[in-house]
Amino acid sequence: MSVLLAILWKDLVTEWRSRDRIAAMLLFSLLVVMVFHFSLPGGVTKQTQASAPGLLWIAYVFAALLGLNRSFSIELENDALAGIALSPVDRGWIFLGKTAANWAILGAAQAITACVFALVFDLALAAVALRLALVVGLGSLGLCSVGTLFAAVAVRTRFREVMLPLLLLPLLVPVLLGAVRATTGLIETGALAWAPVQLLLVTDAIYLIVSFLVFDYVLDE
Amino acid sequence: MSGPALRASGLGKRFGRSVALDGVDLELPEGASLAVLGPNGAGKSTLLRLIAGLARPTSGSLLIAGTPAHHPAARARVGFIGHASLLYASLSARENLLFAARLQRVPEAAARVAGWLEAAGLARVGELPVSHFSRGMSQRLAIARGLVHDPSLLLLDEPFAGLDPRAASRLAAQLASLRAAGRTLLLVTHDPRRAAEQCDRAIVLAAGRVAYAGRGDQAGAEALERAVLAASDAA
Amino acid sequence: MPPVPAASSWIRRSLLPSGLALAGLALLWILLVARAPVDGMQGVIQKILYVHVPCAFAAYAGFGVTALCSALYLWSNDERYDRLAAASAEVGVLFCTLVILTGPIWAKGTWGHWWAWDPRLTVTLLLWFIYLAYLLLRSFTEGSARTARFAAVYGIAGVFAIPLNYFAIELFGGAAMHPDNLERGSLGAGMGWAFLVGVLTGLAAFVHLLLLRTDLEALRAETAEVEPTSGR
Repeated sequence: MSVLLAILWKDLVTEWRSRDRIAAMLLFSLLVVMVFHFSLPGGVTKQTQASAPGLLWIAYVFAALLGLNRSFSIELENDALAGIALSPVDRGWIFLGKTAANWAILGAAQAITACVFALVFDLALAAVALRLALVVGLGSLGLCSVGTLFAAVAVRTRFREVMLPLLLLPLLVPVLLGAVRATTGLIETGALAWAPVQLLLVTDAIYLIVSFLVFDYVLDE
Repeated sequence: MSGPALRASGLGKRFGRSVALDGVDLELPEGASLAVLGPNGAGKSTLLRLIAGLARPTSGSLLIAGTPAHHPAARARVGFIGHASLLYASLSARENLLFAARLQRVPEAAARVAGWLEAAGLARVGELPVSHFSRGMSQRLAIARGLVHDPSLLLLDEPFAGLDPRAASRLAAQLASLRAAGRTLLLVTHDPRRAAEQCDRAIVLAAGRVAYAGRGDQAGAEALERAVLAASDAA
Repeated sequence: MPPVPAASSWIRRSLLPSGLALAGLALLWILLVARAPVDGMQGVIQKILYVHVPCAFAAYAGFGVTALCSALYLWSNDERYDRLAAASAEVGVLFCTLVILTGPIWAKGTWGHWWAWDPRLTVTLLLWFIYLAYLLLRSFTEGSARTARFAAVYGIAGVFAIPLNYFAIELFGGAAMHPDNLERGSLGAGMGWAFLVGVLTGLAAFVHLLLLRTDLEALRAETAEVEPTSGR
């Protein structure tokens, strides 16, 4: 557990020093939001508002892919990943530490993106802010769990930037379905539907547990 | 926790189809110091990484004080200083050491880190980011990083490479005092004389096998030099 | 030097019997399909189902084998399991492609459109993507031990993703348009045997191709072992 916190602390401090990861993620997702807005004919209408949650989550996925790649590419400098692998603990804790850090950093980018999104698409998100935060948090947990596992894999293959989305997107479908459904329900009715949240909980649990158990094999040489 | 500090029996490591180590037998009692020499590609770094628990053997066994090297408990007793520094450039020296200490679950990490910074002569630059360090300073920090949890078994992969004479003699003195304090040492080096100065025994690896094993001190230095040359010629 | 696990001779010995079994089943199947009644509503095009369904069984069986062998490989570090996993993925993706090709052909003939986002179609499409990602991961990783390990991890993650995807899409996806022909009595009279033999033929084809491919992989490993080199 202390190792988890140590890694979380290290990643957050490193990120705070340079702020390059979050800047890139924010910039990218804001660009995506703008492009969506421009590409919708007729501007913001009831119909486009209906597709807004899906678009929001697409922006989130792109941002996540950027951040996840970076979280392990920095560990390749000076063989730092080996330094972490030397820790005398079950390596699943290393996975959890990295996932927690990715989740936190992604969360920060997501919060800001959501505000801009609400502005651009004329959505009243303030009323459901807390419940939205819950949904986004659960969704990102799903993204970051398998995302962290396969970022560690992808970073040691050729074409790592392409490899991660290819590996991850099929696995993320249940997460995205649940998240978009829940977000849509929130925006339309203000109420949190149980079914998508349940799907998110189950998916997150399975992905976290499986990734925790196999992470050791990914760190091995 | 029992038995010699290190015991390898029939240790082998294959990476897919290429054989890095083949049937290595090794035994080191507590407090011994071993030099590992050999040409490039002989498997020296692989051996160290196996002992550090970074990779698993594909055959044979490897025990650190009776525990398999790959188990977390074994990793707690090992300090690894590799080719790369394992440091984060954007963090300060103190933060790097603090992180390493926390990873190793060192109690009272902050106080111990301050002590190690002092011992490495880096206390004044402790708050500077490592990206500003010279090679010698990074090396000192990398070694402090490997020692931060007071490991009983030290693995050093060519630590003298690229050091100026002053830094090298400083390192040599540090290793000597660690040996005097009873640590077990495993030193990969290219230089037989360095081996003779630092270690009481030595092996030469060639193509993943132990080609020569003998005394590392002054008495065995000549034989060691010849063995190293023979291995290099054969490679 | 520790010997590399040699190509299983039982695989090679099984090639002939499995090939013969396949040939026999295939003949029987063709006969049964030809004699099966033409569907009143859908017409002759319904007979493509006799290809589509067996291929679907084989496609899912393929990933099941890959996932199982992935787990066994990680647990035992025996590279024979990895070879089997890789071979199963290659054979499985072939059948999966056939499913995705034959499905729309039948759909156009009966539903009137090429595609629908119903659970079974969507999950099969996702299975196809997972297969491809697995195979791409294998080609883009360097070092056969690392490739085996990474691929095994993806195989395990993928096998959890498939049922998760199914439930997710069933909960929220489009209405189910797929005929649910796993229940008794859902098939018309006279089609039962053709279907059964068809599924057996499909599985036999899968097994035979799997054995062939695994054998090829083992041969490759054997010839490369002749000249072991040292170093990383």
